Amino acid sequence: MLRVAIVGCGKIADSHASQIQRIKGCEIVGICDREPLMARQLFQRFPVKQYFSDLTELLSEARPDVVHITTPPQTHFEIAALCLKAGCHVYVEKPFTLYENEARRLIAMAIEGNLKITAGHDDQFGHAARRMRTLVQSGFLGGWPVHMESYYCYEFGRSGYAEAILGDRQHWVRRLPGKLLQNIISHGIARIAEFLTTESPQVMTLGFTSPLLRSMGESEIIDELRVIICEEERTTAYFTFSSQMRPALHQFRIYGSKNGLVLDHDQETLIKLRGTRFTSYAEKFIPPAIHAKQYLGNLATNVYTFLARDFHMKSGMKFLIESFYRSIVEHTPVPIPYREILLTARIMDAIFVQLDLKRSHVEGRDQISLRSTLTH
Amino acid sequence: MECDEHIVGRNDLLLVTGATGFIGSRLIEFLLDLGFRNLRCFARPSSDKTKVEILSSRRSGEARIEVVQGNLQSPDDCAAATKDVAVIFHLAAGRGEKSFPDAFLNSVVTTRNLFEACVRHRCLKRFVNVSSFVVYTNTRKTRWRLLDESCPVEIHPELRGDAYCFAKANQDSMVAECGRRLGIPYVIVRPGHVYGPGNTGISGRVGIGTFGVFLHLGGSNTIPFTYVDNCAEAIALAGLKKGIDGEAFNIVDDNLPSSRQFLRLYKRNVRHFNSLYIPHSLCYGLNYLWERYSSWSKGQIPPSFNRRRWHAFWKKTRYSNEKLKTRMGWTPKVPTAEGLRRYFEACRVGEPNA
Repeated sequence: MLRVAIVGCGKIADSHASQIQRIKGCEIVGICDREPLMARQLFQRFPVKQYFSDLTELLSEARPDVVHITTPPQTHFEIAALCLKAGCHVYVEKPFTLYENEARRLIAMAIEGNLKITAGHDDQFGHAARRMRTLVQSGFLGGWPVHMESYYCYEFGRSGYAEAILGDRQHWVRRLPGKLLQNIISHGIARIAEFLTTESPQVMTLGFTSPLLRSMGESEIIDELRVIICEEERTTAYFTFSSQMRPALHQFRIYGSKNGLVLDHDQETLIKLRGTRFTSYAEKFIPPAIHAKQYLGNLATNVYTFLARDFHMKSGMKFLIESFYRSIVEHTPVPIPYREILLTARIMDAIFVQLDLKRSHVEGRDQISLRSTLTH
Repeated sequence: MECDEHIVGRNDLLLVTGATGFIGSRLIEFLLDLGFRNLRCFARPSSDKTKVEILSSRRSGEARIEVVQGNLQSPDDCAAATKDVAVIFHLAAGRGEKSFPDAFLNSVVTTRNLFEACVRHRCLKRFVNVSSFVVYTNTRKTRWRLLDESCPVEIHPELRGDAYCFAKANQDSMVAECGRRLGIPYVIVRPGHVYGPGNTGISGRVGIGTFGVFLHLGGSNTIPFTYVDNCAEAIALAGLKKGIDGEAFNIVDDNLPSSRQFLRLYKRNVRHFNSLYIPHSLCYGLNYLWERYSSWSKGQIPPSFNRRRWHAFWKKTRYSNEKLKTRMGWTPKVPTAEGLRRYFEACRVGEPNA
C-alpha cells in the first residue's frame, strides 16, 4: 500500500484527495497545512489518517512514500526539496517551480536520491488528450509537427478567484514573477513542450493588460498574451492566453505534413483534420459530413465513458497520479519526461523575462517623455 | 428604545464586517437610526463601497463612520479592525460557490482571527455571528413540525454537499468554542432567506433553474423569508440587548407565503417563465437517486443533491420567530406583503434571477 500525503489544503487539494481515493493500492496517511483549521477541514471531509500543521512532523510521523504539494507556487521549491531529502517521491502542482533553475535542482535531487518527481500537468492526460498522443505516436501527422496552436483562456467573470486577485493588491498571485500568467499558463505551454525536440526554442512574446482590466484601474496584471515559439526553423507554435476572447478556448491544434488534429479540452473532443482534399464540389460536402461523423463519435465515446463512471472532471489528474504511482511501484519511466518539465519552465521563464523587459522599457520611455515634457 | 436596555452606549465603537454587503449596509443605517455615533465598517478592497460612502457623507454631522479595508485572513488586519471595538457584527462570510476550502477559509478561519484579535484588545462586550438557517439538520422530524432554535444543527455538514452549509456550521461551532475558550460573550443569529432590493434571486427553497427549466420544488412549503430591513434590525438588537449572551436566534418574518404563492406572485409581478412542479415525494426520490449515483460513481457528479439537503430545504416545515419577539422585543417593521411589493419592484427594474 502506497502511503500518500498532501501538503497544502486549499482548493486544489480537494481535487487531489478526490482522485487519490479513486486509486487502488494507496491511502492518504497525512495532510498538512500551516493553518491547522484548513488541515482539519480537509480531514473532516476525506478518509485521511492524520492532519498536521508542521511539515517535518508530517514527514516523520506519517512517513509518506509520496507527497503531493498543493501550496502556492512560491513554496513549491522549498517544500519539494524538504520532501525529497526525507526520501519521498513528489508530485508538485503546476506551476512546477518559480524558475527553471529551481526545477533543474529539484529534478537533480530526485535523480540523485533515486526518487521520482512529476509536475501537475494533468490536462495532458484527459481522455481526448490521451487519444491524441496515441495518434501522434502512430505517425498520423506524417512526421514531426510542422505547427502547433495552444489556446489557454480564462474567464474572469466566472471566477471568485479572479475577483480576489483583482481586489487584493497583496494577493500571492501578484507576488509571482509572472503574476496571474504564471499560475495559469503552464498547462497550455506544457502541451507545446511535449512535442518540441530541441532544448532551447526561440520565444517571442507580446503581452498587455486588456482594456477591461485597465478600465478597472489594473495595470500590473497582464491578461492578454501571445507567444510565438520556434525551433530551428522546423517546428513553430503559437500560444494564446486571453481573458477577453470568447469562447474562452482550451484547445490544442497540431499540424504535420500529412494531417492535423484538434483537441478541445472543454468538450473532450478530438477531431482529425485530413491533409488531402476532395476534388471540386466534393470538398464542400464530404468533409463536413466526415466532421459531423467524428463529432458523433466523440459524443458516443463521452457518453460511454460517463456510463463507465470514468468521466470525472479531473479524470486527467487521476490518470496522471495513477501513472506516477505505477512508475514508483514498478520502477518504470515517469509519465512526464523531465526534459518536458524543464522545457515548460524554460519557455515560461523566457516569456516573463520578455514581459519584464517590455515593462521596464515602457516605464523608461514614459519617464523620458515626462522629463522632456517638463524640460520643454 | 431606552439606552439602559443596551450593553453599550451610543458613543461606543461598533464594528460591522461585510459592511458593504446586502445586509451590512442596512444594518449600518439602522444602527445610525438608533443613535449610535461611532461605527467602523470593514470591507474587502474589492468590494463596492459606494453605499457606505454615500451613507457616511449623508450622515457625517451626526456620526463618525470609518471605513477600514482589509482581509480578515490577515491577523494584522483583524487587529486593526477590532481595536477599541465594543460590539462586532460579523456579517462577512465566504459563500465559496462550490469550493469548500474557500468557503471555510473565508468564514471559519476569519472568525477565529477576529476572536483572537479581540482577546488582545480586551474591550469587546459582544460578538454577533450572523449564521444561517442552512445549519439546521431538520432530519428525523415529521412533516410540518416546527423548526426553532432548539432544533439540532448538522453534526456532519460535510455530507450536505453544500460548501456554504459546511462553512456556516463550522463557523457556529468556532464561535461557541472561541467564546468559551477566550471568555468573549457572543450571540448567534440565523436568518432565513433574506430578500429585498439588492438580492433579487429566487430562493433555492422555492426551486432551481440549474437544468434549463425552472423546477418548482417548494410546492405548498412555507418559505422562511425575512425582509432585509427586518433582518438588519434583528441583527442590531442581537448586538445591543442585555441578557442574551450565548444564545441563538432565528430570524423570520410573520405571515410567510408558501412557495407556490410566492412563485405565482413573482410571475404576475415580475415576469412570466415556465416552471415545472416536482411533487415532494418525487423530489425526495430524485435527491436520493442523485446521492446514490454520486457515491456509486465516486464523485463523477458532485453530491449537491441529497436527502440531507431535501430535509433542510424542501421538507414541509413551520418556522417561528417567537424567541426573537419575546427576548429581544423585535417585530418585523416591514410586513411581508410590503416587503414582497418592494422586492418585485426591484426585480422588475433590476436583475430578475429565475
